[in-house]
Amino acid sequence: MPRDGVRQPPHRTFELPNGLRVVLAPIPHSPTASVWVWYRVGSKNERPGITGASHWVEHMLFEGSPRYGKGEIDRAIVRVGGELNAFTDTDFTAYFSTVPREHLSVPLDIESDRMTRALIADEEVERERTIIHSEREGNENWPEFRVEEELYQLAFRIHPYRWDALGHREDIARMTPAELREYYHRFYGTRNATLVVAGGFEIDAIRAEVTERFSPLPATGEDVAVREVEPPGRGERRAELSGPGTTPYIQIGWRSPALGDRATPATMVLDTLLGGETRMFSAGAGWWRSAEHPSARLYRALVDTGLAVRATSEFRPKFFPSLFTVQALATPGVGLDRLEREIERTVASVARRGPTRSEVEEVRTRIRRGAALAYEGASRTGFRLGYFSVLRSPAYEGELYRAILRVTPQAVREQARALFTDDGKVTVRYTPTGKENDD
Amino acid sequence: MTDPAGPLTFQYGTEIDGLRVVHQPPPPGSASFSATYVGPAGWGFDPSGSEGVARLVNQLVTSAAGRFDRVALARHLDRLGATLSRQAAPESGEVTVWGPAAEWERLLGILSDAVLRPRFDPSDIARARRQARERQLREQTQPASRAVVELLRAIFPKGHPYRESGLGNPRSLGRIDRHDMLRFHRTHYSSGGALLVITGAARLGTVERVARRWFRGFDSRSGPVLAVPPVGRPATRERTIDLPGRSQVEVRLGGVSIPRSHPEYPAAFLANEILGGRAMLSRLFQRVREQGGLAYHASSELEAMRYGGHWTAQAGTGPDRWRKVVTMLREEVERLTKTTLPASDLRLIRESAIGQIPLALESTSDAHELAVEAAYHGLPEDYWLKWPAQLRAVGPEDLRHAASVALDARTAVTVLAGPVR
Repeated sequence: MPRDGVRQPPHRTFELPNGLRVVLAPIPHSPTASVWVWYRVGSKNERPGITGASHWVEHMLFEGSPRYGKGEIDRAIVRVGGELNAFTDTDFTAYFSTVPREHLSVPLDIESDRMTRALIADEEVERERTIIHSEREGNENWPEFRVEEELYQLAFRIHPYRWDALGHREDIARMTPAELREYYHRFYGTRNATLVVAGGFEIDAIRAEVTERFSPLPATGEDVAVREVEPPGRGERRAELSGPGTTPYIQIGWRSPALGDRATPATMVLDTLLGGETRMFSAGAGWWRSAEHPSARLYRALVDTGLAVRATSEFRPKFFPSLFTVQALATPGVGLDRLEREIERTVASVARRGPTRSEVEEVRTRIRRGAALAYEGASRTGFRLGYFSVLRSPAYEGELYRAILRVTPQAVREQARALFTDDGKVTVRYTPTGKENDD
Repeated sequence: MTDPAGPLTFQYGTEIDGLRVVHQPPPPGSASFSATYVGPAGWGFDPSGSEGVARLVNQLVTSAAGRFDRVALARHLDRLGATLSRQAAPESGEVTVWGPAAEWERLLGILSDAVLRPRFDPSDIARARRQARERQLREQTQPASRAVVELLRAIFPKGHPYRESGLGNPRSLGRIDRHDMLRFHRTHYSSGGALLVITGAARLGTVERVARRWFRGFDSRSGPVLAVPPVGRPATRERTIDLPGRSQVEVRLGGVSIPRSHPEYPAAFLANEILGGRAMLSRLFQRVREQGGLAYHASSELEAMRYGGHWTAQAGTGPDRWRKVVTMLREEVERLTKTTLPASDLRLIRESAIGQIPLALESTSDAHELAVEAAYHGLPEDYWLKWPAQLRAVGPEDLRHAASVALDARTAVTVLAGPVR
């Protein structure tokens, strides 16, 4: 068994007078350095009519700022061998670059330039519109995307979690450059950002450089709190979708606790028990993932029995109550009714009898495994420290980890009883319209 | 600055009954260990009528092995903090174990179980078969995978190992039984022509000693050799697969290319980087996405394997835009051979590729991939150390010539899959 515990590398955190939070994690041997900027801005901060604005801003932050013209951000990073990208979530947006360590100043300069002064020019917004349409169309080719989008629309009527971070097609078609700039200037700024630098550097020198580059930025970024509260769900909501494809698919969601809720650790154990892994502490050399595990309850009930070729659960704690989901892809020839009955039976069995002591011990082992080697490399370190910082603080990872290991079988059963009720439950089923070109 | 030479070099060790040991030091400060078995077990070896067997066997060797059934193996890996993964390709099958460096000897034991003593339990076979069938269906109906399948079928003749995706067909999948799997395993996972690539802190001699203990029992005969028929000009230059109801059309333009051992590979590598390999700097990304606003993804790939290769320029776009995208892809591929690349552009892409090397050394698993690639192609032990010099030796004319050989638009096939009508 690997050594127990979350093994974050030593790091220093501080805050600049303009509100920017900074996390520095030197990794002496690392040949690279990774710079991450996490904004506590995501699709939760949008409103109907401008859904997808956070994601669109994410694109626009690569399209020009005072010191970097169009395409120059990409060129500056890639010419030194670096890699860069960004992603948008409901709760946050993250931008990252990893470069050979001697080029660390390049991403620091870029981030300080675009944090508050991205240009978001009219013509660039227009050109990006079709690219974002194309990104959405690519996702729409997958039934799983369509089902999940429908699931959240069914589950939430008030709260902004009801739309996907990509935004509605109609909003992408309609949103104006002025609206996008207004959104950016309102929320993107030092007060809503955390800068994480991890990798091969000398901490005092980088602290000085970060202070010099980011201190002159004005203290901006309005409150990102969300005031809409989703009322408790009453009864179940369902939707039936159909479209191209060959394999039926089902996704069921139940209202799940928010990050920081006392029930979150037990829900993560429940997720591991049912689905095999829980995202924050999944094993492997790469980024985290939701992976199947042959001893997981859903796998045994659905995949081993031949009803499904894939079956997992997912619980990703968010700032606000969201969904715990179960999804399964049917074995060709198996109908959705059977699949749904078996999912119901499986989750009901956990709620009725709870997990065994040995099952919970097994889950703990898997969580320990997921935590053990999670911090190898500057990029992964920047990602994890940033993720837990934006959720709460780097220390939160250890708190959560310890809380998960304390969860008892009884607590899992109680949480399953509280979670798996019909009130607020949502079900979306996808039925393929026919057999297409199957040779 | 850290000296990056360590994991940029590796050592070929001795052969254990036909299994060649290769050792690579890990990146400094690494706490993990990786080892990969690479055998002549790709789907190019699928016997006629049993198409799909190589991928099924590849899946099942990581499922249950030795004294561990599927659940017991998964629990054992959990306790060690390790993972066991696999990868199948036309030529080879790979199995990789990854986990804490302190457990490296036990991890090698697990790998040897997977490679030499898979169980092929009937329930696992039934499950793998169901999953393969679903993947077959999805491959036919998802625009992106269907476009690739059609492109390879248009480029390579029947019987060529690169022609198929290895999933087989409904008939063959239904026919393959445990006996077929055992036979394939015996011939392709425990005979000569295989590699064991290890990235860990122990010295080569120690690694060999431990590997000898775990991997004894290989058949020392030379391994199976892939039959590779010659590739002529494609019979068709355009394939259109209408998949109504989808949102996006996947466009692929591609053709045959050179093997990894080809002397012009470094220049061809750079040509592909310029075309679409180095995403944000590349011409396809700039023209199709940044200037044209026509697609979210536009890139290219050069797949240089042991016996040959293929290249692809690709993009996903709306049903009303694919014609423009096809024209742009074709024009950009042709431009590589028609015009000489400005020296400044070449310098930019070359230094970018060289600068990327430290990023490949961030973790043991990242560095390990370099050693597996080099050892599989029989490249020199200091290949990655000398890679920058090889790239710097490429001039604009070398690049143009390599593009005409490795990314030849004249024989390229265009495939569209999605809502094209």
